[in-house]
Amino acid sequence: MEISFLIFQLLNGLTEGMILFIVASGLSLVFGVLRVINFAHGSLYMIGAYLAFTLSTLFQDFTLGPYLLLMILVPAAVAVIGLGLEITLFRRIYRKEHLLQLLLTYALVLVLDDLVRLIWGGDIRNVSRPLVLAGSVDFAGFSFPSYNIFILALGPVIALGLWYLLYRTHWGNLIRAAVTYPEMLGALGTDVTRVMTGTFILGCALAGIGGVLMSALANIDLGIAMEKIIDCFAVVVIGGLGSVGGALLGSLIIGVGKSYLSLVLVRLAMVFPFFVMALVLIIRPWGLFGKPER
Amino acid sequence: MSKTNSNRKNYLWGIIAIAVLAILPFLLITLGNKGEYWIWVITEMIIMALFAASLNMILGFGGMVSFGHSAFYGMGAYTVALLIKKAGVPFFLALAAAPVMAGAVAAIIGWFCVRRIGLYFSILTLAFSQLLYMIAFQWYTFTGGDDGIHGINRPEFFGPVTYYLFCLAILVACLLVMRMIIRSSFGLAIRTTRENPERAKFIGISVQRYQLLNFIIAGAFAGISGGLITELNRFAQTEFLHWSKSAEPIFASLVGGMYSLIGPVIGSTILMFLKIVLQQVHQSLVEIWALFLGLILLVVVLFAPEGVMGLRQKFLKKH
Repeated sequence: MEISFLIFQLLNGLTEGMILFIVASGLSLVFGVLRVINFAHGSLYMIGAYLAFTLSTLFQDFTLGPYLLLMILVPAAVAVIGLGLEITLFRRIYRKEHLLQLLLTYALVLVLDDLVRLIWGGDIRNVSRPLVLAGSVDFAGFSFPSYNIFILALGPVIALGLWYLLYRTHWGNLIRAAVTYPEMLGALGTDVTRVMTGTFILGCALAGIGGVLMSALANIDLGIAMEKIIDCFAVVVIGGLGSVGGALLGSLIIGVGKSYLSLVLVRLAMVFPFFVMALVLIIRPWGLFGKPER
Repeated sequence: MSKTNSNRKNYLWGIIAIAVLAILPFLLITLGNKGEYWIWVITEMIIMALFAASLNMILGFGGMVSFGHSAFYGMGAYTVALLIKKAGVPFFLALAAAPVMAGAVAAIIGWFCVRRIGLYFSILTLAFSQLLYMIAFQWYTFTGGDDGIHGINRPEFFGPVTYYLFCLAILVACLLVMRMIIRSSFGLAIRTTRENPERAKFIGISVQRYQLLNFIIAGAFAGISGGLITELNRFAQTEFLHWSKSAEPIFASLVGGMYSLIGPVIGSTILMFLKIVLQQVHQSLVEIWALFLGLILLVVVLFAPEGVMGLRQKFLKKH
């Protein structure tokens, strides 16, 4: 096999990995602060993708401008949905048993997935790429889609943005304080509930961004929520829950691994996340970046 | 009320319930087609009650929240379907193989899942059940993929009434075995790991091994229920393995009460009735079944987490 083809496949894998990272980092971030694993995170991602589809049909000529508008509008809309869920549901269960938290977010998956089916139906949808990004770039005998390059560029920007937010801003300090010692943060006069709500909204917005990006990369149907949340779970098992760096590593492993395996056999690529997950559980059950629980 | 007294009362209620259920099909069959439909419906209720009770072995007694119990239900269903259809194995042998196969798969999946009890356990069970679903969906030549496996023969002596009674007998037998397990030292150890895993470890209980064993037991019982539903419907399909199928026994346990054996059975029956009522009101309502399931689950989680049986116990304590 030619080396340039392997690089081509690597770039494809990294593209998928970047989208996975954007979604999974939201899940991980929310878990870190709220200590709730949101099973409905995949559904929010799916809502983002379908919203992108609906909004994109409103524009006559889909240029970069409207697309960038989508990139802002859709995550904002998903964040608003998240805000509604946080205020009405999640806030009631922060101090309850794990069991109830799990069941609540699980019930939410049932509700949200069926609502999406009611609103958009079961047909396969796709979003056309904005005109500027619809072409492709020739690269060592292969033509690589411009859209993938756009995602490859955007992924690190978002990763850096998250890092900056978490480690270089006041809000980031509050979020990290809420992860390690929420009681102390509260005692020091910070409204911890607001930090929690803010983090949850941020997580939802990340799911929304992932949805927009995916909608123009591949077909969207009702299965994408479960598909993505399972991949996200694999990512957090590999990287450790609550670690954004771990989420990045896990996402890239899964994206690239899937991409290469699909050359051999598509079914093998499907099983790959489970394989890695099982391997990590045997070798390092607490995840590559996680700390062993005592 | 003394303990032996309430025990005797429970026995009495149990026998009355079984007797009523055993006589019911003979009354219904006189109603003709409509009666036969209801026999079919109640048979399905009996099978789903077994499915719910099997999950509760880990959910209620073990405190392990599995979102992937459909894996073992589907495993049992496909075992029976494939053995009868492809290998020509007689029904009883195929049904006996269902819990064995489901238990074996539970042993493999469980071996990974019990390493991280808690949040990760829920994540992993869901993920692995989705893996089985994808395999059944993709492996067209073996499982029939999306079409499923149709036209499974039924032994001649199984009419609607006899099959109903057969399922009822299996449910009762399984519940008695489960009761035995829960009351044994094993069951006590399992409940200890639920209440306080740390302390369980200190007093010498090998927590992971007990949890794995319990997971296998629950999987095996789910396999039986899956095998029974395949024979009732005469088909097995990927829907049996779908993640949303796992929601039904969770719902049943939560509504019926998780800390009793009979709670999930009652919860499951309530659930099935709800489904039928929806179907009668309007056919299209069943298509958004998951929406109803989710909404009710939300309400129960937020306002009555102990479930119906729990409410009853609260009530009894007060008076």
